[in-house]
Amino acid sequence: MSYPSEDNLRRWIAFVAALGVGVATYIAIVESGGGSPVCLAGGTGCATVAKSSYSHVAGVNIAIFGVIGYLLLLASAFFANDAARFGGFLVSLGGFGYSVFLTYIEIFKIEAICQWCVASAVLMTVIFLLNATRLIAYGGNELQEAR
Amino acid sequence: MNDPDRRTKMMQLAAGTVFLAIVVVVALIVVNGSSSDSAGEPTPEDAGEVAQALRGIPQNGMVLGDPSAPVELAEFGDLQCPVCKGYAEEVLPGIIENQVKNGEVKIDFRNFTIIGPQSLPAGAAALAAGEQGRGWNFVELFYKNQGAENSGYADEAFLKSIAKAAGVKNMAKWNQDRAKLTSKVEETTKEAQQLGFNGTPSFALKGPGAKELEPIGTPSSTGALEEAIEGAG
Repeated sequence: MSYPSEDNLRRWIAFVAALGVGVATYIAIVESGGGSPVCLAGGTGCATVAKSSYSHVAGVNIAIFGVIGYLLLLASAFFANDAARFGGFLVSLGGFGYSVFLTYIEIFKIEAICQWCVASAVLMTVIFLLNATRLIAYGGNELQEAR
Repeated sequence: MNDPDRRTKMMQLAAGTVFLAIVVVVALIVVNGSSSDSAGEPTPEDAGEVAQALRGIPQNGMVLGDPSAPVELAEFGDLQCPVCKGYAEEVLPGIIENQVKNGEVKIDFRNFTIIGPQSLPAGAAALAAGEQGRGWNFVELFYKNQGAENSGYADEAFLKSIAKAAGVKNMAKWNQDRAKLTSKVEETTKEAQQLGFNGTPSFALKGPGAKELEPIGTPSSTGALEEAIEGAG
């Protein structure tokens, strides 16, 4: 099976991670001011989700964890070694798993959908697939130059 | 250079972490899904326990404790908030038993409605119970019977059952009062936002001689809250 070149995968990972940093930073900044993200098509889904108890873990807004995660993923795209491949895979796996859980919570517990959270979940899914592809295709090639 | 052993180990490790991630996510969903979606009905035992815990402590409006206590602790909470319920059951009893009963501090429950649409009428219902000296009984009984966030349990019937169990004598007055007190709930919600709070429960302290409430966030334990109260006094 032919895979995209690692250079291309890294570029895509960096691009999607940068978008993720933007989305998570927006949510974190808006919420730190006591507000909530503005739903692009109107509605109050974002306010309901942002103000639910699930929006904080140990008193810390989960958007902050999002910013940190996306920054780590962005950093992993700058290196072509196994640590970056496996680290990027682990962080994106954690982010993807947590996104699945939060989407379940939004639909079945909070019963409100926030477009910004959905956007982040989609970005995290894409970045997980890119990192999984990168690991499967190039993992274990420690000494190989990036292609 | 490709190292087959290294690659095999890495793939095994990756497969293991994927398996672990699936287990964790499923466990999280199962745990959250099995938490009670339906609110309870307040039982006479619940009402008795709450009355026992609050016995002998003055209640004025939503203020619990000696009105002349030197320190005021304002709790900004949402009755639908599960973290507030946990706090009410695990952290506050120690404060009420000691520092409130000995006249060191009084606690003012103020609504900070952030969970959902039913938080507003629920908050007003608590304030209306407070008009009859049963505000804290209402709050404590609400928490004891709290359902899942925004599941729609905090309806009229639920609020009435809590008010009755809390010992509200004049239900007609309670009904009238809560309509009037909705604006008060909105006021304290704005106040919480002005203090910089964005989650519940959040606390603020006012010591002797102080004019303004000083936000202290959410102390993590009874001990931490006790220290903050002592610091303000």
